[in-house]
Amino acid sequence: MHIPDGYLDLWVAVVCALLAIGTLAFAARRADSELTDAKAPVLGIVAAGLFAAQMLNWPIPGGTSAHFVGGAFAAILLGPHLGALCVATVVTIQALVFGDGGLVVLGANVLNMAVVEVYVGYAIYRALAGRNEFVAAFAAGWLGITAGALTAGLQLGLSEAFAYELLTTLSIMGIGHLVLGLIEGGITAVVYRYVADARPDLFPTTPDLEVHA
Amino acid sequence: MSASSAVSDAWQRQWARRGLAAVAAMVALSPLFAWAAGQVGYAEPLENAAEHTGAPAHAVTYNAGLLPDYTVPGIDPFVGTLLSGVVGTALTLVVVVAMARLLAE
Repeated sequence: MHIPDGYLDLWVAVVCALLAIGTLAFAARRADSELTDAKAPVLGIVAAGLFAAQMLNWPIPGGTSAHFVGGAFAAILLGPHLGALCVATVVTIQALVFGDGGLVVLGANVLNMAVVEVYVGYAIYRALAGRNEFVAAFAAGWLGITAGALTAGLQLGLSEAFAYELLTTLSIMGIGHLVLGLIEGGITAVVYRYVADARPDLFPTTPDLEVHA
Repeated sequence: MSASSAVSDAWQRQWARRGLAAVAAMVALSPLFAWAAGQVGYAEPLENAAEHTGAPAHAVTYNAGLLPDYTVPGIDPFVGTLLSGVVGTALTLVVVVAMARLLAE
């Protein structure tokens, strides 16, 4: 879902960059209060894990495929603000060092994967977690990535490179990632379950489970 | 340091070790996935939409990166993928930990 340079009209890229910068500034201010030095290595390992997972393109026969993005996963694990900052760092390193995603469109890629997927995924998780946390994590990963893909489809469809074919870009991006997002949701839910069992204290959303002796 | 915080510190380090092992395992698998993706003709919906509307003619490269498309120029692409994974995960780890420490202050 990494948009290369030349695909977005300049005004679209600029609007997306402003939205991304604004959200990340807000996230950094909010994250300030939830962050302690002890949590820094956890953030680093989760972000490194997202980078590694994003390198693994799923080899689905037939061509149309994707890779794990992990925006919703980061949001559930770290809270949405720290999650957004971690995914934004991954997306920025991908663009600067590996040419994966363009420079002018970096704000759009950050907006889609580090803002929309993260905050939409988190909202879905919070809405469903009271009933079933596993289902909530699955739906967050599944619909979070779909929301990010629809946002990308909107940006592409408003741009000359895509001949302003908004319906085409929205349907190909939306339907494609709605189907592929089932895998994103599955990975999100399974890894969430594993981490939740190992480290319930990590979760900002769950009540404090530690026994105070 | 109380006994309970010593235990939680050890658990923290064990968790960190497990996390790093999982990252290393994914990096080790990255050349295999790169090969498999090539075998099936990997393309994302974004690329399909681009083909549909003629967008690839508009693509420009302002920055290929030091490690373009997760390769190291001039060496075997699968070794390049592995090295890219090592560099990318290490860089991400360092940058995010530094960012987190700054924010925590």
